[in-house]
Amino acid sequence: MSDTEKIVEVKHLVKHYGKFKAVEDVSFDVLRGDVFGFLGPNGAGKSTTIRTILSLIKPTSGDIRMFGRDLLKDRNFILAKIGCIVEKPDFYKYLSAEKNIEIFARLSGVNVSKSKIHEIIEFVGLKGREKDKLGGFSHGMKQRLGIAQTLVHDPELIILDEPTTGLDPQGIIDIRNLILQLKNERNKTVLLSSHILSEIELIANRMVIINKGKTIVQGSVTELLNAQELIVSFTVDNIGKAQQLLEAAEMKEQIEKIENNNFLLHISQEKIPVINKLFCDNGVNVFSIESKRKLEDYFLKLINA
Amino acid sequence: MKYRHFLFAFLISLIPISVHSQTNANQVLRGVYLKLQKAKDYSVEANIKVDLPFIRMLPVDAKIYFKQKDKFKVESKSIAIVPRQGFDQSSKMIADTNSFTAVLQGNELISGVQTNIISILPLSDTSDLILGKLWIDPKQSVILKSQLTTKSNGTILTEYTYGNQLAYGLPDKMIFSVDVKKFKIPKSVTADMNNSSADKKEKDKENKKGKIFITLTNYQVNKGIPDSLFKK
Amino acid sequence: MFWKSTYNEFIKIAAKPRSYIGIGAITLIVGIILFAMKADGLSFISFVTQPFEQSLSFEGNILNGNLIAFIILQMLIIHVPLLIALVTGDLVSGEGAMGTIRLLLTKPISRTKILFSKYLAGCAYTLIILLWLGFLALIVGKMLFGSGDLMVLNSDGLVVLQEKDLFWRFVCGFSLAYLSLVMIATLSLTLSCFSENSIGPIVSTMAIIILFTIIGALDLPAMQQIQPYLFTTHMVSWRNFFEDPLPVDKIIHSSMILLLHIVALLGIAVYKFNRKDILS
Repeated sequence: MSDTEKIVEVKHLVKHYGKFKAVEDVSFDVLRGDVFGFLGPNGAGKSTTIRTILSLIKPTSGDIRMFGRDLLKDRNFILAKIGCIVEKPDFYKYLSAEKNIEIFARLSGVNVSKSKIHEIIEFVGLKGREKDKLGGFSHGMKQRLGIAQTLVHDPELIILDEPTTGLDPQGIIDIRNLILQLKNERNKTVLLSSHILSEIELIANRMVIINKGKTIVQGSVTELLNAQELIVSFTVDNIGKAQQLLEAAEMKEQIEKIENNNFLLHISQEKIPVINKLFCDNGVNVFSIESKRKLEDYFLKLINA
Repeated sequence: MKYRHFLFAFLISLIPISVHSQTNANQVLRGVYLKLQKAKDYSVEANIKVDLPFIRMLPVDAKIYFKQKDKFKVESKSIAIVPRQGFDQSSKMIADTNSFTAVLQGNELISGVQTNIISILPLSDTSDLILGKLWIDPKQSVILKSQLTTKSNGTILTEYTYGNQLAYGLPDKMIFSVDVKKFKIPKSVTADMNNSSADKKEKDKENKKGKIFITLTNYQVNKGIPDSLFKK
Repeated sequence: MFWKSTYNEFIKIAAKPRSYIGIGAITLIVGIILFAMKADGLSFISFVTQPFEQSLSFEGNILNGNLIAFIILQMLIIHVPLLIALVTGDLVSGEGAMGTIRLLLTKPISRTKILFSKYLAGCAYTLIILLWLGFLALIVGKMLFGSGDLMVLNSDGLVVLQEKDLFWRFVCGFSLAYLSLVMIATLSLTLSCFSENSIGPIVSTMAIIILFTIIGALDLPAMQQIQPYLFTTHMVSWRNFFEDPLPVDKIIHSSMILLLHIVALLGIAVYKFNRKDILS
């Protein structure tokens, strides 16, 4: 199968609730093999879009095609190839972890054996907890079980809506690693909605940003961000001398902020070692160089435009 | 003068007539009583058919046991409805001749048989019986019809038909006529919500008398019945 | 896929603690009734036969298991619908409240099939409740009180049905009672499609039953126009199987009304469930 094959095609999606326009015009494509980031501020219409793709919500208008088929006409065919978590994963509290996976696996369209279920539960790090009732599970454990539920029937596309919500830092790292594993080891396509931009930046290769129900920009993460300058933070021992050196190098206008011994520079990635060398050669000690979250900045720029 | 003598003679002649009438009634009753005493005990199979306005049921089979002087039992696997006063009320009533006055009221032809009509008036105010009336075949000394009015059970009219057990005065068939207008259905007990008031008015117009038909077969007379059978 | 979904629903109902409230409550209530009848059942009987007892005497085993079963079935006509609604009213709204509906409706099975599988599981639960009730009433009742003819007091008099004639009447009566309870299950399931919490459909179901029962009991000309069409009017139609002669027309009519209600409510449920946007 071609890597440029479109797994998800959303064209001019619209969803109104009476006079309220939750989604006005959202369009994007997800290619096979993508880890696709779906970004937008709160209330942008991310959740509505994801739920519409998953047939939880009926669109007012627009075209949704997945695996080359129309969602409205071939819903069951499409959903059989998808595993998903929508917001937080909720399960039946009165059933065990194993039983919950069994219940959903039974509806997945494929025969899933008990051994396969145990294998998946082990894969997400819940080995030994299969028989425990969900009532005693932490949020992180439920999230893992949610991932297990998405994988048990070996889907081609995995849709995760805010998968790291409520997780501690270790939990976030675990989910990130899991997603990368899914892409790299299991060749899954992942559509990932999140508001934690650093996570998207680290794992997504393509993304779309929406705001107020409309698509703002779509494309490769690298290409979109490389088109922008970096914001780099330098911490030095002699701020005055550093400023002089930058003036001499005609880079004064690129200084954004100076605070104590720290200043921010708008520069491209290639300029970082050049400036570092400039400082070091001229007796200015550099204590730290930190690239600011560029996606965050890019995102905020787009949203506020 | 002649007129006065005639009147006096007439009045004197009435005394023996009334005494004779009472004596006759007692004699007739005595005859019936003696006949009934011949059966010390008996068991009989009964088929009970009810034709009462407020009751619907199929005929049921029962077994009746009797032992002198007043042991009586109805045994049935099904639910059987019988007259409250029982089958032996008449014979119980005529057993104690000192408790009532019997008067011969006349004659009536019933199914081709000339019967004596005897009225029974209890002597005691505390007696349950208010008034009894018996139609008796004097030749066979059997009761063909009875009408008993009691404080506890109201008025019940009973007709008797005899067959194989005529010698013992035991009937083959009894028909009880019961006045049912006092039957009132307690509405709080029923959960019958579908009956409209129109239906109820329709039913109020129905016949207020009912009958119970009891057919008696396979008498076993004087075979010996233990007293323990009559204990509940 | 439909049968797999139905099997899932059975598992869920069997695992929910609330499913056993109905069974426990029925066991307790029937137990109390059996105890009370054993202790003082003859007084109850005499209250029924008292209008006739001036002239008539009733012989035979009146207080028997068949009568007990009939009394139990009558007394529980208000309680059992609540116990049914407790489970069936939660079938859809409970999923919404728990959040599991999001996962459930993203599976490759149509919403109609999911709804019908829930409905089928709910009807099966209803059957289990009724069978348990029947077992306690008839079997345990007969063990304690023996067998015999059944004496039924209707508003137009007394009907005595012979024992050999009772088995088919009880089977048919229970079947029609089951139809009535399925009607309740359908109502609560339909209301469940409109709610996001479990309590709403259960309380609404009981409120509708009580309201319709009150309307059905009012002897006003305006109410009499609609009374024949209320499902509560026909919920006691199982009693018709204990009439003699059997009012076949009435039974068929009641069954049709109940079936029509079921079909109409199911139609509403399917429509609502299919069009519902899952926002929770």
